Amino acid sequence: MNNTLLSLTIAILFGIGTFLILRRDIVRVIIGLGILSHAVNLLIVSTGVFAGTKVPIIVDDGGHGAVEATGSIFTDTLSLNILAPVLAAGHHTDYVDPLVQALVLTAIVISLATTAFILILAYRIYEEYGTTDLKELRRLWG
Amino acid sequence: MIALAVHLPILLVATPILTAALMLFLRKQPAIQKLLSISVFFILAIVSVLMLLQVWSSGIQAYEVGEWGKYGIILVADLLSSGMVVLTSIVSFLALVYSLDYIEEKSLSASYYPLFSLLVAGLNGSFLTGDIFNLFVFFEILLLSSCGLVIANEKGGVTKSSDKMEATFKYLVLNMLSSIVMLIAVASLYATTGTLNMADISVKLSAMSAAGTLPWHVFGIALMFIVVFGNKAAIFPLHYWLPDVHPTAPSPISAMLSGVLIKVGAYGMLRVFFLIFPDTLYLFKPVIIYLALATIVVGAISAVAQTDVKRLLAYSSVSQIGYVFLGIGFGGVYGIAAALVYLVNHALAKSMLFLTSGGIIHHAGTRDMRKMGGMVDSAPFMSLMFLTGAMSIAGLPPMGGFIAKFQLFDAGISGEYYFEVAIALLFAIFTIFYMFRAMLLMFWGEKRDVNEYGEYSTHGTSSLIALPIIVLALGVVIFGLYAEPLITFANATANQILDPQPYIDAVMTRVVR
Repeated sequence: MNNTLLSLTIAILFGIGTFLILRRDIVRVIIGLGILSHAVNLLIVSTGVFAGTKVPIIVDDGGHGAVEATGSIFTDTLSLNILAPVLAAGHHTDYVDPLVQALVLTAIVISLATTAFILILAYRIYEEYGTTDLKELRRLWG
Repeated sequence: MIALAVHLPILLVATPILTAALMLFLRKQPAIQKLLSISVFFILAIVSVLMLLQVWSSGIQAYEVGEWGKYGIILVADLLSSGMVVLTSIVSFLALVYSLDYIEEKSLSASYYPLFSLLVAGLNGSFLTGDIFNLFVFFEILLLSSCGLVIANEKGGVTKSSDKMEATFKYLVLNMLSSIVMLIAVASLYATTGTLNMADISVKLSAMSAAGTLPWHVFGIALMFIVVFGNKAAIFPLHYWLPDVHPTAPSPISAMLSGVLIKVGAYGMLRVFFLIFPDTLYLFKPVIIYLALATIVVGAISAVAQTDVKRLLAYSSVSQIGYVFLGIGFGGVYGIAAALVYLVNHALAKSMLFLTSGGIIHHAGTRDMRKMGGMVDSAPFMSLMFLTGAMSIAGLPPMGGFIAKFQLFDAGISGEYYFEVAIALLFAIFTIFYMFRAMLLMFWGEKRDVNEYGEYSTHGTSSLIALPIIVLALGVVIFGLYAEPLITFANATANQILDPQPYIDAVMTRVVR
């Protein structure tokens, strides 16, 4: 569908994030990291959007025995009807991959934890150094 | 017991996480915390050795969490990962024993035990997991818990807390960037192959490669993985955080970071490139080799000029990890086996050196080597142990480092990498120079104001501090004098790395429920 628009959004977010993490202010760097991680989250979600007819999860082939899937790499053919996310045989539909959403959820939680940690760290740095200018943080350079 | 034997991989990951949670509740009872954490880590060390023996005798163990087969998260213990887990467990047990007497009590019971357990869980998890996204999750656990540990206060307070903040900020920002890169790589890999299981990705990519339809962006993904693991292992253009972070951390944590944590990068490189991207190696082998050479050169030259003992050891870690990557770059059974032998020896020797440097700092009350001098009289034990470690890092004959360097250069020469071996040899001489320069500055020469030691100099060398150092030193000497078991093991591991078919079989032939 609007994959071009989505890709453009992701690209712009990556651009803004990269610009911000190159600033001298600690807070801007942290905001930049947040924007970058959200750009990645959008990227992951966008990998689960398919315009084709093949289902990105396991397809039941109707008990014809395991046929080696050659066409699309997203199709796993299992002869036994034992897997939970199974689509009925001979039935094709557009589908959004549920796995990427689980991945994004994990990534969001992880980036929440790291962002919380780094914000507290930035506050402590402000306490210790009295500034949020990264150029002033050079006590370890010598 | 037999039933439990199947569950060894998950035990190694779940036990430290549970311990971490338990430690948070027990923070008002430091005695119980101490006893519990020591016994848990001792048991973990035994369990990891048991798992290694099991893998050695009965082949690769795949443990499916929740019986979802290749569609779920799977833990795989092959020789490489179980060997790395044994290394982690032993070093972490010794570092924990050491930190009981080294870390400030308040910091120890409030945050140190839980974070240390989480660090070990992250390490074991990232070595054992067979799922590439799970690898990312464990990397984040590693990152956050090690950030908390770098800030932990040691007794005596030789490192200012503003230094710790600055170092941790650098560490966190650079590693967050690398984890963002890793997520991009994992997402692209998932979009390409439709699976996150490493064995499954390997099968699909090699099928595509055999059919000649390997997409070009797979090379980009592989390059991103070089950046990620290079950042973890501090390879040349990405090494700037390491010499700030490793010295400011308390010594047992420096030992964990330098001994085990940067080896995660080497492990990831071996796992990802030889399992998932063997078809891109022809392009990336020279990249790895030349980055490794640059790392050796930069690390060695920077180490020569250092005056801070822990900073010198940190730059030495940068240089030594370059040798490990050089072995990985040489490829072939001999090169990888040499890299593994080097990795084990460096882990033992460098964690021992960092623990010893903690004792030295305890003794002298400063990290500046120019203010030390003539300490061989007042601290004979530390000087003997530092000499052992320095000889091993420098690669002098009776120690394990000699065997490792010999194997590595032999592998390079038999692979006809003459120029690379020449550079590496030249900077091995630099290694001897900077290690013995530190030795001379600290232990020989005239006595400076070492009589007016820091606050904790009356503390002396307690048995809790001496014991881990002695055990690691014994390891270093034994691997030098009787290296055959290690070399046999490294060769078997290298064979397994180069032939991923058993790994794939062990993972893919699972019954899905």
